[in-house]
Amino acid sequence: MKIFNGINKTASIIVTFGLIITLIIIFTGKSNPESAQNVEIRNGIQYITINARGGYFPNVSSAKAGVPTKLIMKTGGTYDCSASLVINSVGFKKILPQTGETEIDLGKPEAEKPIQGVCGMGMYNFLINFI
Amino acid sequence: MDVKYKTYTFHVTGTHCASCKILIEDILKEQDKIKNVQVDLKKETVLIEADSNQDPKELAQILTDKIKSNGYTLSVDKKTQEKINDNTIWQAIPIGLIFLVLFFILQKSGILNLGMGGKTTPLTSFIIGLIASVSSCLAIVGGLVLSLSAKVSQDEVNDKKNFTLFHIGRLASFALLGGVLGAVGQTIGINFTFSAMLGIAASIIMLLLGLNLTGVFSRNRITLPTGIFNFFRKIEHKTLTPIIIGFGTFFLPCGFTQSMQIVALSSGSFISGFMIMFSFALGTLPMLALLSFGSASFAHGKHASLFFKSVGVVVIGLGIFALLAGLAGLGIINPLFNI
Repeated sequence: MKIFNGINKTASIIVTFGLIITLIIIFTGKSNPESAQNVEIRNGIQYITINARGGYFPNVSSAKAGVPTKLIMKTGGTYDCSASLVINSVGFKKILPQTGETEIDLGKPEAEKPIQGVCGMGMYNFLINFI
Repeated sequence: MDVKYKTYTFHVTGTHCASCKILIEDILKEQDKIKNVQVDLKKETVLIEADSNQDPKELAQILTDKIKSNGYTLSVDKKTQEKINDNTIWQAIPIGLIFLVLFFILQKSGILNLGMGGKTTPLTSFIIGLIASVSSCLAIVGGLVLSLSAKVSQDEVNDKKNFTLFHIGRLASFALLGGVLGAVGQTIGINFTFSAMLGIAASIIMLLLGLNLTGVFSRNRITLPTGIFNFFRKIEHKTLTPIIIGFGTFFLPCGFTQSMQIVALSSGSFISGFMIMFSFALGTLPMLALLSFGSASFAHGKHASLFFKSVGVVVIGLGIFALLAGLAGLGIINPLFNI
Protein backbone atom coordinates (compact mmCIF):
# COMPACT_ATOMS: atom_id res chain seq x y z
CA MET A 1 0.00 0.00 0.00
CA LYS A 2 2.99 2.23 0.34
CA ILE A 3 3.15 2.46 -3.44
CA PHE A 4 0.12 4.63 -3.21
CA ASN A 5 1.66 8.05 -3.63
CA GLY A 6 0.85 11.37 -5.20
CA ILE A 7 0.64 10.11 -8.78
CA ASN A 8 -1.92 7.51 -7.85
CA LYS A 9 -3.88 10.13 -6.02
CA THR A 10 -4.33 12.02 -9.27
CA ALA A 11 -5.30 8.79 -11.01
CA SER A 12 -7.79 8.12 -8.25
CA ILE A 13 -9.38 11.53 -8.68
CA ILE A 14 -9.75 10.92 -12.43
CA VAL A 15 -11.32 7.48 -11.82
CA THR A 16 -13.62 9.03 -9.22
CA PHE A 17 -14.84 11.62 -11.71
CA GLY A 18 -15.45 8.92 -14.30
CA LEU A 19 -17.46 6.88 -11.83
CA ILE A 20 -19.51 9.87 -10.70
CA ILE A 21 -20.36 10.66 -14.33
CA THR A 22 -21.39 7.01 -14.81
CA LEU A 23 -23.69 7.29 -11.79
CA ILE A 24 -25.22 10.49 -13.16
CA ILE A 25 -25.86 8.76 -16.50
CA ILE A 26 -27.49 5.81 -14.73
CA PHE A 27 -29.74 8.09 -12.73
CA THR A 28 -30.77 10.52 -15.43
CA GLY A 29 -30.95 8.02 -18.29
CA LYS A 30 -34.48 7.55 -19.54
CA SER A 31 -35.89 4.07 -19.63
CA ASN A 32 -37.33 3.26 -23.07
CA PRO A 33 -40.31 5.54 -23.44
CA GLU A 34 -43.12 3.14 -24.22
CA SER A 35 -45.79 5.06 -26.04
CA ALA A 36 -48.41 2.36 -25.82
CA GLN A 37 -52.05 3.17 -26.40
CA ASN A 38 -53.05 3.10 -22.77
CA VAL A 39 -55.92 5.57 -22.76
CA GLU A 40 -59.41 4.75 -23.97
CA ILE A 41 -62.87 6.17 -23.44
CA ARG A 42 -65.71 3.73 -22.80
CA ASN A 43 -69.26 4.86 -21.93
CA GLY A 44 -68.08 8.38 -21.25
CA ILE A 45 -65.40 7.29 -18.81
CA GLN A 46 -61.74 7.64 -19.59
CA TYR A 47 -59.62 4.64 -18.59
CA ILE A 48 -55.85 4.90 -18.25
CA THR A 49 -54.01 1.62 -17.88
CA ILE A 50 -50.57 1.42 -16.29
CA ASN A 51 -48.59 -1.75 -15.71
CA ALA A 52 -46.77 -2.04 -12.44
CA ARG A 53 -43.85 -4.37 -12.17
CA GLY A 54 -40.26 -3.29 -11.71
CA GLY A 55 -41.45 0.25 -12.35
CA TYR A 56 -44.47 1.75 -14.06
CA PHE A 57 -45.14 1.42 -17.77
CA PRO A 58 -45.76 3.57 -19.64
CA ASN A 59 -43.86 6.03 -17.57
CA VAL A 60 -45.55 9.11 -19.02
CA SER A 61 -49.11 9.08 -20.33
CA SER A 62 -51.29 11.81 -21.64
CA ALA A 63 -55.06 11.93 -21.38
CA LYS A 64 -57.96 14.31 -21.82
CA ALA A 65 -58.79 16.78 -19.12
CA GLY A 66 -62.33 17.38 -17.83
CA VAL A 67 -63.53 13.83 -18.42
CA PRO A 68 -64.42 11.40 -15.59
CA THR A 69 -61.26 9.34 -15.40
CA LYS A 70 -60.29 6.04 -13.86
CA LEU A 71 -56.80 4.68 -13.52
CA ILE A 72 -56.31 0.95 -13.85
CA MET A 73 -53.17 -0.42 -12.25
CA LYS A 74 -52.28 -3.81 -13.66
CA THR A 75 -50.05 -6.09 -11.65
CA GLY A 76 -48.74 -9.50 -12.61
CA GLY A 77 -46.56 -11.28 -10.10
CA THR A 78 -45.51 -7.92 -8.76
CA TYR A 79 -43.64 -8.11 -5.47
CA ASP A 80 -41.29 -5.16 -5.81
CA CYS A 81 -41.76 -1.59 -4.75
CA SER A 82 -44.08 -0.76 -7.63
CA ALA A 83 -46.77 -2.75 -5.80
CA SER A 84 -46.88 -0.22 -2.99
CA LEU A 85 -48.42 2.73 -4.74
CA VAL A 86 -48.82 6.28 -3.50
CA ILE A 87 -50.74 8.90 -5.49
CA ASN A 88 -50.69 11.91 -3.24
CA SER A 89 -52.98 14.16 -5.27
CA VAL A 90 -55.92 11.77 -4.86
CA GLY A 91 -54.85 10.48 -1.46
CA PHE A 92 -54.24 6.93 -2.65
CA LYS A 93 -51.87 4.81 -0.54
CA LYS A 94 -52.20 1.10 -0.96
CA ILE A 95 -50.33 -2.07 -1.66
CA LEU A 96 -51.62 -3.49 -4.92
CA PRO A 97 -52.48 -7.19 -5.11
CA GLN A 98 -49.68 -9.35 -6.50
CA THR A 99 -51.70 -10.11 -9.60
CA GLY A 100 -54.80 -8.29 -10.70
CA GLU A 101 -56.25 -4.94 -11.63
CA THR A 102 -56.91 -2.08 -9.28
CA GLU A 103 -59.26 0.71 -10.29
CA ILE A 104 -58.54 4.15 -8.90
CA ASP A 105 -60.97 7.00 -9.38
CA LEU A 106 -59.22 10.17 -10.48
CA GLY A 107 -62.36 12.29 -10.68
CA LYS A 108 -62.42 14.89 -13.46
CA PRO A 109 -58.77 15.88 -13.80
CA GLU A 110 -58.09 19.49 -14.67
CA ALA A 111 -55.85 20.50 -17.54
CA GLU A 112 -52.22 21.32 -16.76
CA LYS A 113 -52.47 19.45 -13.46
CA PRO A 114 -50.50 16.27 -14.01
CA ILE A 115 -51.02 13.38 -11.65
CA GLN A 116 -47.97 11.67 -10.31
CA GLY A 117 -47.70 8.26 -8.72
CA VAL A 118 -44.68 7.01 -6.78
CA CYS A 119 -43.91 3.71 -5.17
CA GLY A 120 -43.64 3.59 -1.39
CA MET A 121 -39.87 3.76 -1.34
CA GLY A 122 -39.86 6.46 -3.97
CA MET A 123 -37.59 5.05 -6.63
CA TYR A 124 -40.25 4.36 -9.25
CA ASN A 125 -42.74 6.92 -10.48
CA PHE A 126 -45.12 7.68 -13.30
CA LEU A 127 -46.76 10.80 -14.62
CA ILE A 128 -50.10 11.37 -16.34
CA ASN A 129 -50.50 14.67 -18.18
CA PHE A 130 -53.95 16.05 -18.85
CA ILE A 131 -54.54 18.21 -21.87
CA MET B 1 0.22 8.40 55.52
CA ASP B 2 -1.85 9.39 52.58
CA VAL B 3 -1.08 7.80 49.28
CA LYS B 4 0.84 9.83 46.81
CA TYR B 5 -0.65 9.88 43.35
CA LYS B 6 1.57 10.27 40.44
CA THR B 7 0.42 11.84 37.20
CA TYR B 8 1.36 10.36 33.86
CA THR B 9 0.65 11.69 30.42
CA PHE B 10 0.55 9.23 27.54
CA HIS B 11 -0.08 9.62 23.86
CA VAL B 12 -2.95 7.57 22.54
CA THR B 13 -3.61 6.29 19.04
CA GLY B 14 -6.75 4.84 17.53
CA THR B 15 -9.20 7.36 18.93
CA HIS B 16 -11.32 7.65 15.82
CA CYS B 17 -14.55 8.62 17.48
CA ALA B 18 -15.93 10.82 20.18
CA SER B 19 -17.16 7.81 22.10
CA CYS B 20 -13.61 6.43 22.32
CA LYS B 21 -13.04 8.84 25.19
CA ILE B 22 -15.76 7.20 27.26
CA LEU B 23 -14.61 3.68 26.44
CA ILE B 24 -10.96 4.29 27.31
CA GLU B 25 -11.86 6.09 30.50
CA ASP B 26 -14.25 3.32 31.52
CA ILE B 27 -11.75 0.54 30.94
CA LEU B 28 -8.79 2.24 32.53
CA LYS B 29 -10.72 3.38 35.58
CA GLU B 30 -11.47 -0.24 36.35
CA GLN B 31 -7.78 -1.02 36.74
CA ASP B 32 -6.16 -1.24 40.16
CA LYS B 33 -4.24 1.71 41.41
CA ILE B 34 -5.70 4.03 38.80
CA LYS B 35 -7.39 6.93 40.42
CA ASN B 36 -8.31 9.18 37.58
CA VAL B 37 -8.24 9.02 33.80
CA GLN B 38 -8.79 11.87 31.43
CA VAL B 39 -8.71 11.51 27.67
CA ASP B 40 -8.08 14.56 25.55
CA LEU B 41 -9.25 13.70 22.05
CA LYS B 42 -7.94 16.86 20.48
CA LYS B 43 -4.40 16.41 21.72
CA GLU B 44 -4.71 12.61 21.60
CA THR B 45 -3.37 12.30 25.11
CA VAL B 46 -4.43 10.43 28.23
CA LEU B 47 -3.81 11.93 31.63
CA ILE B 48 -3.60 9.26 34.32
CA GLU B 49 -3.36 9.65 38.06
CA ALA B 50 -2.09 6.43 39.55
CA ASP B 51 -0.90 5.14 42.87
CA SER B 52 2.17 3.56 41.45
CA ASN B 53 5.85 4.04 41.13
CA GLN B 54 6.11 2.24 37.89
CA ASP B 55 8.23 3.34 35.06
CA PRO B 56 5.98 5.27 32.63
CA LYS B 57 6.97 2.98 29.78
CA GLU B 58 6.02 -0.12 31.76
CA LEU B 59 2.73 1.37 32.82
CA ALA B 60 1.94 2.38 29.25
CA GLN B 61 2.56 -1.20 28.18
CA ILE B 62 0.36 -2.67 30.93
CA LEU B 63 -2.49 -0.31 30.15
CA THR B 64 -2.14 -0.80 26.41
CA ASP B 65 -2.72 -4.51 26.96
CA LYS B 66 -6.10 -3.66 28.49
CA ILE B 67 -7.31 -1.51 25.60
CA LYS B 68 -5.42 -3.04 22.70
CA SER B 69 -8.33 -5.28 21.77
CA ASN B 70 -10.39 -2.15 21.19
CA GLY B 71 -7.79 -0.72 18.87
CA TYR B 72 -6.06 1.78 21.13
CA THR B 73 -2.43 2.02 22.16
CA LEU B 74 -0.74 4.18 24.74
CA SER B 75 2.82 5.35 24.41
CA VAL B 76 5.18 7.69 26.16
CA ASP B 77 6.46 9.20 22.96
CA LYS B 78 4.14 10.61 20.37
CA LYS B 79 3.91 8.25 17.46
CA THR B 80 4.02 10.00 14.14
CA GLN B 81 0.76 9.32 12.44
CA GLU B 82 1.15 6.88 9.63
CA LYS B 83 1.11 8.79 6.39
CA ILE B 84 -0.54 5.99 4.42
CA ASN B 85 -3.66 6.47 6.46
CA ASP B 86 -4.31 9.76 4.77
CA ASN B 87 -4.10 8.20 1.37
CA THR B 88 -6.46 5.29 1.90
CA ILE B 89 -9.41 7.62 1.38
CA TRP B 90 -8.24 8.14 -2.21
CA GLN B 91 -8.38 4.41 -2.75
CA ALA B 92 -11.63 4.06 -0.86
CA ILE B 93 -13.59 6.61 -2.91
CA PRO B 94 -13.16 4.84 -6.28
CA ILE B 95 -13.67 1.41 -4.69
CA GLY B 96 -16.88 2.53 -3.01
CA LEU B 97 -18.10 4.21 -6.20
CA ILE B 98 -17.45 1.06 -8.26
CA PHE B 99 -19.74 -0.88 -5.91
CA LEU B 100 -22.40 1.82 -6.19
CA VAL B 101 -22.19 1.85 -10.00
CA LEU B 102 -22.48 -1.96 -10.15
CA PHE B 103 -25.41 -1.91 -7.74
CA PHE B 104 -27.37 0.68 -9.68
CA ILE B 105 -26.60 -0.95 -13.06
CA LEU B 106 -28.03 -4.16 -11.60
CA GLN B 107 -31.19 -2.28 -10.59
CA LYS B 108 -31.51 -0.54 -13.93
CA SER B 109 -30.94 -3.72 -15.93
CA GLY B 110 -34.33 -5.05 -14.92
CA ILE B 111 -33.11 -8.62 -14.46
CA LEU B 112 -34.49 -8.52 -10.93
CA ASN B 113 -38.01 -7.90 -12.16
CA LEU B 114 -38.92 -11.47 -12.90
CA GLY B 115 -42.53 -11.99 -12.08
CA MET B 116 -43.82 -14.70 -9.82
CA GLY B 117 -47.16 -15.96 -10.86
CA GLY B 118 -49.55 -18.20 -9.02
CA LYS B 119 -49.94 -18.76 -5.33
CA THR B 120 -47.26 -17.63 -2.95
CA THR B 121 -45.83 -20.65 -1.21
CA PRO B 122 -42.96 -20.74 1.30
CA LEU B 123 -40.70 -21.73 -1.60
CA THR B 124 -41.67 -18.74 -3.74
CA SER B 125 -41.33 -16.50 -0.67
CA PHE B 126 -37.81 -17.80 -0.23
CA ILE B 127 -36.95 -16.99 -3.87
CA ILE B 128 -38.56 -13.56 -3.53
CA GLY B 129 -36.39 -13.07 -0.44
CA LEU B 130 -33.29 -13.92 -2.46
CA ILE B 131 -34.26 -11.38 -5.13
CA ALA B 132 -35.22 -8.76 -2.55
CA SER B 133 -31.84 -9.06 -0.88
CA VAL B 134 -30.08 -7.76 -3.99
CA SER B 135 -32.82 -5.38 -5.09
CA SER B 136 -33.13 -1.72 -4.27
CA CYS B 137 -34.22 -2.81 -0.79
CA LEU B 138 -30.56 -3.54 -0.30
CA ALA B 139 -29.99 0.18 -0.47
CA ILE B 140 -31.84 0.69 2.76
CA VAL B 141 -31.82 -2.61 4.67
CA GLY B 142 -28.41 -3.73 3.42
CA GLY B 143 -26.95 -0.25 3.75
CA LEU B 144 -28.12 -0.07 7.34
CA VAL B 145 -26.80 -3.56 8.13
CA LEU B 146 -23.49 -2.80 6.47
CA SER B 147 -22.96 0.53 8.20
CA LEU B 148 -23.97 -0.77 11.63
CA SER B 149 -21.84 -3.91 11.19
CA ALA B 150 -18.78 -1.97 10.14
CA LYS B 151 -19.25 0.45 13.03
CA VAL B 152 -19.70 -2.37 15.54
CA SER B 153 -16.66 -4.18 14.16
CA GLN B 154 -14.67 -0.99 14.39
CA ASP B 155 -15.68 -0.29 17.97
CA GLU B 156 -15.51 -3.64 19.67
CA VAL B 157 -14.41 -7.23 19.51
CA ASN B 158 -17.55 -9.20 20.07
CA ASP B 159 -19.10 -8.33 16.73
CA LYS B 160 -19.89 -11.89 15.62
CA LYS B 161 -22.15 -12.46 18.62
CA ASN B 162 -24.02 -9.24 17.87
CA PHE B 163 -24.48 -10.15 14.20
CA THR B 164 -25.77 -13.60 15.09
CA LEU B 165 -28.25 -12.03 17.51
CA PHE B 166 -29.31 -9.56 14.82
CA HIS B 167 -30.03 -12.31 12.29
CA ILE B 168 -31.83 -14.48 14.84
CA GLY B 169 -33.87 -11.49 15.95
CA ARG B 170 -34.70 -10.69 12.34
CA LEU B 171 -35.75 -14.22 11.40
CA ALA B 172 -37.77 -14.67 14.60
CA SER B 173 -39.59 -11.36 14.35
CA PHE B 174 -40.38 -11.80 10.65
CA ALA B 175 -41.82 -15.24 11.39
CA LEU B 176 -43.78 -14.12 14.45
CA LEU B 177 -45.10 -10.90 12.93
CA GLY B 178 -45.98 -12.83 9.77
CA GLY B 179 -47.91 -15.26 11.93
CA VAL B 180 -49.70 -12.42 13.68
CA LEU B 181 -50.60 -10.85 10.31
CA GLY B 182 -51.96 -14.19 9.14
CA ALA B 183 -54.01 -14.70 12.30
CA VAL B 184 -55.38 -11.18 12.55
CA GLY B 185 -56.20 -10.90 8.86
CA GLN B 186 -57.18 -7.74 7.08
CA THR B 187 -57.80 -5.65 10.16
CA ILE B 188 -54.42 -4.03 10.59
CA GLY B 189 -53.08 -1.90 7.81
CA ILE B 190 -49.39 -1.31 7.47
CA ASN B 191 -48.91 2.38 7.80
CA PHE B 192 -47.17 3.90 4.79
CA THR B 193 -46.15 7.11 6.46
CA PHE B 194 -44.72 5.36 9.51
CA SER B 195 -42.68 3.07 7.32
CA ALA B 196 -41.47 5.97 5.16
CA MET B 197 -40.42 7.97 8.23
CA LEU B 198 -38.52 4.96 9.53
CA GLY B 199 -36.80 4.72 6.16
CA ILE B 200 -35.77 8.36 6.34
CA ALA B 201 -34.43 7.84 9.87
CA ALA B 202 -32.47 4.82 8.61
CA SER B 203 -30.99 6.80 5.74
CA ILE B 204 -29.89 9.56 8.10
CA ILE B 205 -28.23 6.98 10.35
CA MET B 206 -26.50 5.58 7.24
CA LEU B 207 -25.24 9.03 6.26
CA LEU B 208 -23.88 9.75 9.74
CA LEU B 209 -22.23 6.34 10.12
CA GLY B 210 -20.89 6.60 6.58
CA LEU B 211 -19.27 9.96 7.27
CA ASN B 212 -17.89 8.57 10.52
CA LEU B 213 -16.47 5.48 8.79
CA THR B 214 -14.73 7.47 6.08
CA GLY B 215 -12.98 9.31 8.87
CA VAL B 216 -13.46 12.76 7.38
CA PHE B 217 -14.58 14.02 10.75
CA SER B 218 -11.69 12.72 12.78
CA ARG B 219 -9.23 13.95 10.22
CA ASN B 220 -10.37 17.50 10.69
CA ARG B 221 -10.51 16.86 14.41
CA ILE B 222 -14.18 17.65 14.46
CA THR B 223 -15.91 15.07 16.55
CA LEU B 224 -19.44 15.52 15.37
CA PRO B 225 -22.13 14.71 16.43
CA THR B 226 -21.02 13.55 19.82
CA GLY B 227 -24.43 12.91 21.32
CA ILE B 228 -25.50 10.36 18.72
CA PHE B 229 -22.27 8.41 18.90
CA ASN B 230 -22.29 8.42 22.69
CA PHE B 231 -25.78 6.99 22.56
CA PHE B 232 -24.66 4.45 19.99
CA ARG B 233 -21.72 3.43 22.18
CA LYS B 234 -23.94 2.94 25.16
CA ILE B 235 -26.44 0.73 23.39
CA GLU B 236 -24.18 -1.32 21.16
CA HIS B 237 -23.06 -3.47 24.09
CA LYS B 238 -26.56 -4.42 25.13
CA THR B 239 -27.67 -7.91 24.10
CA LEU B 240 -31.13 -6.68 23.21
CA THR B 241 -30.01 -3.98 20.78
CA PRO B 242 -29.18 -6.22 17.78
CA ILE B 243 -32.39 -8.19 18.32
CA ILE B 244 -34.45 -4.99 18.37
CA ILE B 245 -32.76 -3.73 15.21
CA GLY B 246 -33.51 -7.10 13.58
CA PHE B 247 -37.12 -6.66 14.63
CA GLY B 248 -37.15 -3.10 13.28
CA THR B 249 -36.13 -4.21 9.76
CA PHE B 250 -39.64 -5.67 9.43
CA PHE B 251 -41.01 -2.14 9.25
CA LEU B 252 -38.38 -0.61 6.99
CA PRO B 253 -39.75 0.48 3.64
CA CYS B 254 -39.04 -2.23 1.10
CA GLY B 255 -41.56 -3.06 -1.59
CA PHE B 256 -40.81 -6.76 -1.32
CA THR B 257 -41.26 -6.87 2.45
CA GLN B 258 -44.51 -4.92 2.17
CA SER B 259 -45.83 -7.22 -0.56
CA MET B 260 -44.99 -10.27 1.53
CA GLN B 261 -46.71 -8.71 4.52
CA ILE B 262 -49.86 -8.43 2.41
CA VAL B 263 -49.50 -12.03 1.33
CA ALA B 264 -49.08 -13.09 4.96
CA LEU B 265 -52.06 -10.95 5.89
CA SER B 266 -54.33 -12.64 3.40
CA SER B 267 -52.94 -16.11 4.05
CA GLY B 268 -55.63 -16.77 6.62
CA SER B 269 -53.81 -18.50 9.44
CA PHE B 270 -50.99 -17.99 11.90
CA ILE B 271 -48.98 -20.93 10.53
CA SER B 272 -49.19 -19.90 6.87
CA GLY B 273 -48.32 -16.27 7.65
CA PHE B 274 -45.49 -17.48 9.87
CA MET B 275 -44.09 -19.75 7.14
CA ILE B 276 -44.34 -17.11 4.40
CA MET B 277 -42.54 -14.39 6.33
CA PHE B 278 -40.00 -16.82 7.76
CA SER B 279 -39.11 -18.18 4.30
CA PHE B 280 -38.89 -14.64 2.97
CA ALA B 281 -36.50 -13.58 5.74
CA LEU B 282 -34.52 -16.78 5.21
CA GLY B 283 -34.14 -15.84 1.55
CA THR B 284 -32.69 -12.47 2.48
CA LEU B 285 -30.33 -14.04 5.01
CA PRO B 286 -27.41 -15.08 2.74
CA MET B 287 -26.83 -11.55 1.44
CA LEU B 288 -27.29 -9.84 4.80
CA ALA B 289 -25.11 -12.42 6.57
CA LEU B 290 -22.44 -11.86 3.95
CA LEU B 291 -22.58 -8.12 4.61
CA SER B 292 -22.34 -8.40 8.38
CA PHE B 293 -19.92 -11.29 8.81
CA GLY B 294 -17.96 -10.12 5.78
CA SER B 295 -17.37 -6.80 7.45
CA ALA B 296 -16.27 -8.57 10.63
CA SER B 297 -13.58 -10.51 8.79
CA PHE B 298 -12.40 -7.46 6.84
CA ALA B 299 -12.41 -5.37 9.98
CA HIS B 300 -9.89 -7.62 11.64
CA GLY B 301 -7.83 -8.03 8.49
CA LYS B 302 -4.86 -6.19 7.09
CA HIS B 303 -6.82 -3.71 5.02
CA ALA B 304 -9.24 -2.71 7.77
CA SER B 305 -8.73 1.01 7.31
CA LEU B 306 -9.35 0.81 3.56
CA PHE B 307 -12.37 -1.40 4.18
CA PHE B 308 -14.00 1.01 6.65
CA LYS B 309 -13.47 3.96 4.35
CA SER B 310 -14.82 2.12 1.29
CA VAL B 311 -17.85 1.00 3.28
CA GLY B 312 -18.25 4.62 4.36
CA VAL B 313 -18.36 5.76 0.71
CA VAL B 314 -20.85 3.02 -0.28
CA VAL B 315 -23.08 3.75 2.71
CA ILE B 316 -23.07 7.51 2.06
CA GLY B 317 -24.11 6.83 -1.54
CA LEU B 318 -26.89 4.46 -0.54
CA GLY B 319 -27.96 6.84 2.23
CA ILE B 320 -28.35 9.73 -0.21
CA PHE B 321 -30.29 7.48 -2.59
CA ALA B 322 -32.59 6.20 0.16
CA LEU B 323 -33.11 9.68 1.58
CA LEU B 324 -34.06 11.27 -1.76
CA ALA B 325 -36.28 8.33 -2.66
CA GLY B 326 -37.90 8.37 0.77
CA LEU B 327 -38.65 12.09 0.57
CA ALA B 328 -40.15 11.56 -2.89
CA GLY B 329 -42.25 8.68 -1.52
CA LEU B 330 -43.64 10.97 1.14
CA GLY B 331 -44.40 13.60 -1.50
CA ILE B 332 -42.05 16.13 0.10
CA ILE B 333 -39.88 16.48 -3.00
CA ASN B 334 -40.48 15.59 -6.62
CA PRO B 335 -39.04 12.23 -7.65
CA LEU B 336 -35.58 12.90 -9.03
CA PHE B 337 -35.04 9.54 -10.66
CA ASN B 338 -36.74 6.43 -11.88
CA ILE B 339 -34.47 3.52 -11.32
